[in-house]
Amino acid sequence: MIRKIVSVSLSMTGLLFFASGAWAHHGGAAYDETETITVTGAVTKFQFINPHVLIYIAVTEENGDTVEWSGELTTPIRLARIDRAGAVTWSKDLLQPGDEITLSGNPARSGAPSLRLRRVIDSHGVALIGGGN
Amino acid sequence: MSQRVLISVVVLVTPLLMSSPLSAQMGEHGDDLSGVWTNFALESARSYQNSALRADPPPMTPWAQERFAEAKPTFGPRSVPVRETNDPVYDCFRPGTPRIYMHPFPMEIIQTPGRVLMLFEYDHTVRQIYTDGREHRTDLAPTWMGDATGVWEDETLVVETVNFNDKTWIDREGVPHSDQLRVLERIRRDEDGNLLIDITIEDPVAFTESWTAQRRYRRVDWNIEEFACMDNVEFAAYEEEVLDYDSGDEE
Repeated sequence: MIRKIVSVSLSMTGLLFFASGAWAHHGGAAYDETETITVTGAVTKFQFINPHVLIYIAVTEENGDTVEWSGELTTPIRLARIDRAGAVTWSKDLLQPGDEITLSGNPARSGAPSLRLRRVIDSHGVALIGGGN
Repeated sequence: MSQRVLISVVVLVTPLLMSSPLSAQMGEHGDDLSGVWTNFALESARSYQNSALRADPPPMTPWAQERFAEAKPTFGPRSVPVRETNDPVYDCFRPGTPRIYMHPFPMEIIQTPGRVLMLFEYDHTVRQIYTDGREHRTDLAPTWMGDATGVWEDETLVVETVNFNDKTWIDREGVPHSDQLRVLERIRRDEDGNLLIDITIEDPVAFTESWTAQRRYRRVDWNIEEFACMDNVEFAAYEEEVLDYDSGDEE
């Protein structure tokens, strides 16, 4: 599997939301927090559910294969309550099938196409989560 | 008392009784702690306060150390994946007191005559703190969340909670307790209007001495919504897919 691996410093502004302790996430053992992967594709599923919001996208790899990647976030209510100036309002309708988005996060240790999300960026370059551009 | 004096007394006293939102709690001192509160970590506690009360484990007896060693939490330095945990909340048992404070969801304090209610968004857990002067019950079996009574000392609500079973953890990192646990809390607002909860843990079976911790909350204009513990059941299946993935690569 060919992946883009980008090592990102934890001083990145967009991670302040998580570094503040606002989101302590169980299951961190399944993901490698020292690495960050970025993938882009069209939304196939958007599950705005407890205990973790799940976003699935279809990623076309360099060999032409399509792989469905998933990313997990915190609970839907915590996303919906984000109220910083300029922040996107999260709801069950924020993402629609077909939306081109970029997922960035910690990869699964098993090699599964799954991320513990740190940033989600829409097709206009707007950060839906993770702050900054 | 003459009729004129009686009327005068009623005319003077009635507005005083009607003016306070806590007027129904006649005779009770206290503050208005009502509203929705969200965890607002003390600066010194940010690194651990979502899963523990203190930076380091409390002073445990050998009894407790043995159980602590057996615990497999999903938080903290000994964290394991959800499918390997023996943390009782993943079977959706009540989290217990004071652990409920560490789950990162808001709580609503509702003050009614004779009771202060804490409604936690986490699995709609409720604590009833009886402020009507009653004693703890001695006729019922031990409980998950404990039996809480409270008294007001000026504007501080002093709460004592006892009659716990021993099936919960003190925190989310596996610190145990026995059924001799006694939790004392002093709940008040600070000069900024934030809620401060000073917690004292006493349990001669589990701890070599009593120990303390502090939690802080800030007021928000949210509603308490729903977080159902049972939704964790379906997520466990997703996590298993991630853990067991076999790429089949021969590279």
